[in-house]
Amino acid sequence: MKKVLAIVLTVAMVLGLAACGGGKTTPTNNSNTSPSSELAGEYKALIWCPSEAKELTTKQIEDFNKTNTLGIKINATVNEMSESDAGTQVLNDVSAAPDLYFFAQDQLARLVQGAGIAKLGEGASKTITENDDKAAVAAATTGSQIYAYPLTSDNGYFMYYDKSVIKAEDLGSLEKLIAACEAAGKNFSMETDTSAWYIASFFFATGCKSEWTADSQGKFTSVNDTFNSPEGLIAAKGLYKLQSSKNHVSSSNVSDFSANPASAIVVSGTWAYNDVKKILGDNMGAAELPSFTVDGKTYHMGSFNGCKLLGLKPQTDAKKGAALNQLALFLTDYDRQVERFKTLGWGPANLKAQQQDAVKSNAAQVAINAQNQYATVQGQIHGSWWDIAKVIGTDVKNSDGSDAGLQKALDNYSKAINELFQMSDEVLKAYTVIGSINGTNWDTDFPMTEVSAGVWKSNDKMDLKAGQELKCRQGKSWDVSWGGNANGDNLKVEADGTYTVVLTITNDKGIVTLEK
Amino acid sequence: MAKYSDLEYLKLSKWDKFLYKLGRFFISIPVGIGHFFQKIGKGIASGVKAFGRECADVVNTFKNGDGITKGTFLVMGLGNLARGQILRGLLFLLFEIVFIFYMIFAGGYWMSMLPSLGKQGPAVEYDPVLDTYVTAYHDNSFKILLYGVLTILFIIAFIYTWRQSIKQAKINQEMRERGIRLKSGKDDLKSLVDESFYKTLLALPLTGILIFTVVPIVFMMLVAFTNYDGSHDGYFNNLFHWVGLDNFNTMFSWTGGNKVYSATFGEVLTWTLIWAFFATFSNYFLGMFVAMMINKKGIKFKKGWRTILVMTIAIPQFISLLYVSKMFAKNGIVNGFLLDLGWITQPLPFWDDPTWARITVILINIWIGIPYLMLIVTGILMNIPADLYESAKIDGASGWKQFTKITLPYMLFITGPYLLTQFTGNMNNFNVIYLLTGGGPTNAAASGASGSVGYTDLLVTWLFKITTGAESQYYMASVVGILIFVVVALITLLVYNILPSVKNEEDFQ
Amino acid sequence: MSKKNDYDPSAMKQHMGMSAKNRISNTVIYIVLVIMSIVWLAPFVFIVLQSFRCESTWMVGYVVPKQWGLDNYINLAKTDFWHWYTNTFIMALATAVLQTVIVLCMSYTLSRFRFKIRDGLMRFMLILGMFPGMLTMIILYRILKDLNMTQANAVPGLILVYIASSGMGYYVSKGFFDTVPKSLDEAARIDGATRAQVLWKIILPMAKPIVIYTILTAFMGPWGDFVFARYISMNTPAGMNVAVGLNSWLSQDMINSRYTMFCAGGVIVAIPVTILFMCLQRYYVEGVTGGAVKG
Repeated sequence: MKKVLAIVLTVAMVLGLAACGGGKTTPTNNSNTSPSSELAGEYKALIWCPSEAKELTTKQIEDFNKTNTLGIKINATVNEMSESDAGTQVLNDVSAAPDLYFFAQDQLARLVQGAGIAKLGEGASKTITENDDKAAVAAATTGSQIYAYPLTSDNGYFMYYDKSVIKAEDLGSLEKLIAACEAAGKNFSMETDTSAWYIASFFFATGCKSEWTADSQGKFTSVNDTFNSPEGLIAAKGLYKLQSSKNHVSSSNVSDFSANPASAIVVSGTWAYNDVKKILGDNMGAAELPSFTVDGKTYHMGSFNGCKLLGLKPQTDAKKGAALNQLALFLTDYDRQVERFKTLGWGPANLKAQQQDAVKSNAAQVAINAQNQYATVQGQIHGSWWDIAKVIGTDVKNSDGSDAGLQKALDNYSKAINELFQMSDEVLKAYTVIGSINGTNWDTDFPMTEVSAGVWKSNDKMDLKAGQELKCRQGKSWDVSWGGNANGDNLKVEADGTYTVVLTITNDKGIVTLEK
Repeated sequence: MAKYSDLEYLKLSKWDKFLYKLGRFFISIPVGIGHFFQKIGKGIASGVKAFGRECADVVNTFKNGDGITKGTFLVMGLGNLARGQILRGLLFLLFEIVFIFYMIFAGGYWMSMLPSLGKQGPAVEYDPVLDTYVTAYHDNSFKILLYGVLTILFIIAFIYTWRQSIKQAKINQEMRERGIRLKSGKDDLKSLVDESFYKTLLALPLTGILIFTVVPIVFMMLVAFTNYDGSHDGYFNNLFHWVGLDNFNTMFSWTGGNKVYSATFGEVLTWTLIWAFFATFSNYFLGMFVAMMINKKGIKFKKGWRTILVMTIAIPQFISLLYVSKMFAKNGIVNGFLLDLGWITQPLPFWDDPTWARITVILINIWIGIPYLMLIVTGILMNIPADLYESAKIDGASGWKQFTKITLPYMLFITGPYLLTQFTGNMNNFNVIYLLTGGGPTNAAASGASGSVGYTDLLVTWLFKITTGAESQYYMASVVGILIFVVVALITLLVYNILPSVKNEEDFQ
Repeated sequence: MSKKNDYDPSAMKQHMGMSAKNRISNTVIYIVLVIMSIVWLAPFVFIVLQSFRCESTWMVGYVVPKQWGLDNYINLAKTDFWHWYTNTFIMALATAVLQTVIVLCMSYTLSRFRFKIRDGLMRFMLILGMFPGMLTMIILYRILKDLNMTQANAVPGLILVYIASSGMGYYVSKGFFDTVPKSLDEAARIDGATRAQVLWKIILPMAKPIVIYTILTAFMGPWGDFVFARYISMNTPAGMNVAVGLNSWLSQDMINSRYTMFCAGGVIVAIPVTILFMCLQRYYVEGVTGGAVKG
């Protein structure tokens, strides 16, 4: 029996797989659109939230089921997932991703680009713009499109300190704080080796900026970055003061307060409030970040003012999408944000909720509000920036502290930032010809050059045969591509010959033609 | 360097012998590589020849075949069915039917889409009544590539089976003409537990390897020639497409551009090799040393010592290594302990300084590795014939001499292949690096390359970081994966082809 | 090697000074071994101590808890821990059985049969083994997803992945079979036994050490897999193993409240594996030395 058995088994496996993969997903047809009262029904939904919020979120969904007037019943499964990993996990497989998920705002652009998050409708966008603070709206927006529902607006950092070590009069000055720590043999924890988020504090202090612009597709189009500047050098000097202290620890975990040697200061955020309280008890202090002095001038350390957001996965069923939209709005409304603050200590993004007395009197909220005067609204930042900027920390630490050494760190930084955009500009803007031409099969790009505004010509003449098809595309990707007619269909070659391929773009529409 | 005869070699002084061996080793490198390519060339040539023969045989079979044999060209298994081999015939026929149905209903689609990897991406539409956005998904580049690969494998399998069916039709025809009894289905089944028992035994393992190793590897190699990444995931956002050698160009920048990838690759590769070397040999010699200490006559509680060391094998690394990693942090208990003792005045930068971090991971790896080596060496030491030592003792050899003359050569001989697998295994030692340092401290020079490479990153952790990084550049991960393969393969080839044949398989039987 | 000293009386007489020297060297060895034992055991002792620590948060500057208690172990029941534990246990058992069958099939065949594609097959598998496994994570996820074996169904999916390619790890047990004399097979074949009977009745009973070695290594695998299992289970508690579940407690937002529980969970995970390993250590050594170095 010639290997038949082995083959049959193999075939069975192959078929099993192929059969499963055979079916194409057909788009859900929603021609019979219905008014919102017709949303009534039961919907299954998967929801991810951080572990501490699991219980409360489950309860709030039940509240929604009980109180909503539209007859929507959400049958929810709530799983734990930290906000900082949610984006990555969602994009691993969007189809298996949760319908609603809590995430930190730095992942928004990536989620938009990866199509792991749905656009908000007009009604929802209006609600959010009206009710939430500016930083929160900016956090949920890329280009001009709102993509997420703001949950909190306190995702920034400030300083927790041990009152038994740090005296109140030292609080305003970084130099004094470092000296106090060194004198007491205690550490100063700020995650400036490995996290751009914290490093930026020094640069914002001196007025440096790194402002990124993203379009509505989550693609970054430009940056206004002034980290490599005289002000940046001052910031680097301040950073070096901290980095070069033998008592500096690069960490943002508040359990440093109980480590050995223990820290007397940890720069962290509101989320750590309960843990610090547990460790330090009455000795807990919270304050805005200090100022540092370079060449006789003082600079108050800045911070990011960031948000936690609730994201909705793109839906194929309009009714379910609309129902989940209702749930998301409910979970982020005034009452729910207040409830979340009371139970979890999460600072609200809702303007009205921020005015609550309880919110105003919480030590961590007081500190973050004080710090927020010096904070920069985080907005959208290129995903690679975090990797590039965190290197400043290592570079500054390993330098000798001289102007030249610090300047080198900034040069490295701006070089990497420029490379990020050189690629974008040159490669992303250029058009190329692609098709079943020159013996290739839609797998090779032939370069083109812009001969005049909006007119691109292929660099070489091409031998084309009748029946071959081609298109022009931008940035070697299919995001933007033009064909032989207004619909963008492939251009078919009519007759054999040697041609130059010409792309003419007028009013953002391109047409490909052939020139003998 | 001339080659000496045995007699000449024996006359050399010790030092000269060593130099001679070393010289021969380096001379043999190009020869070894040459041999290797020769082998490949020969293999290809003989493959082409064999293919020619097969084709000729098919043509001849058709010419000389009777109606049934000719019919088998169209209806597989006819040559078996018509001549009484019902079981075989039915299986052939079934395979053909399944194949045809598959190709019509699924395979054809996948094959037709393979060159473009999909034409229509997803579309988002606004539903004004419900004030919500709805996404309609269309082509799936990922599935097209995956099932395209599977379909190609299926087609190859079909051609092979078709060929077998014809071959059997021919044989059956000849045997019938000569009046020899054909094997029945019963005979076939019987042979599966006897002469052909190996087919039964291999069927399951090989199927598993095919589906879960071969297909994924082929797929991921193909990904290196596409633009598959986080924002071209082939289904949910944008389709991905073939990009030729673009990604390899990014890696090696042969058409210019910044050399950040090639520089990063060089740096990571260098550290990977250094790490693999030290991790392998430090464990090897120290493990041997520990084993010999425990095995020394007169040492009590042998089993107890061993058990204590072996605990590290039994406890999952994600628990022990994460803890150990934190022990060495700047405010971890090791530094705390040393500070309290007053031995140091400021914390040691175990993980903060590149050199410190590299040395620390190697040292901690010794902690992990010694128990394994100790177990293995213990076993081997027990197997060294005792009379070797007896005679050495009579000759008055010292302990050290016995070690260098008997133990070490014996160990090296027996464990040669093991050392090689250890070396390549350490190159891909993901757990230790990932759990201890996560690749850090960050390497500023490599910041332009995807994945934010650190000073202790190995190629394999870099690959992981690219995959899970901000842009999920699967295509670059794939390029790095292919390069890891190339490096490992080259090292293995060098060792196998150049060192005197480490072992002869049949010798042990 | 030190076999020289003890059992040869003539050697003893020749080197009367040996005995004292021997005592010194033994003392040195004892000291080294004690220090090593401390270094090797310390992390585990520390982890066990942490698991009894009632005062919370992640890092504390001391090793011995100030407040002892079983809270961490009791609180585990309030999480999905025991579910993950059961999952892992099922995976470990299934993997141990199936992987052993597959590895034995593969290694026995390659050791005993000589067939046309054998050398090519072995070389092919050697080459396959040179690709980093990490590379295939994404695609394996998609394959399993199409088989509906991810997320909540990750347990069968992971078992499938663990065993599917285990045939490639045939080296050690093939090395063992190579040392079993072929004449045994031949004698039985002459007596009319089929190949299958030879394997079942003659070889397997002799292969106890290698079978146990294979079972042991296969059983230990699933307990430590946190990268792959995380990808396949996609944050669905029903499909997680202990490594993934426990690791999720180490994220920044959970570590301070769950770290001591992580240690408690770690201790519980380590118990079955350690006990099994201690009991079967002898076979592990036999398996490794019988196979690894010759395979």
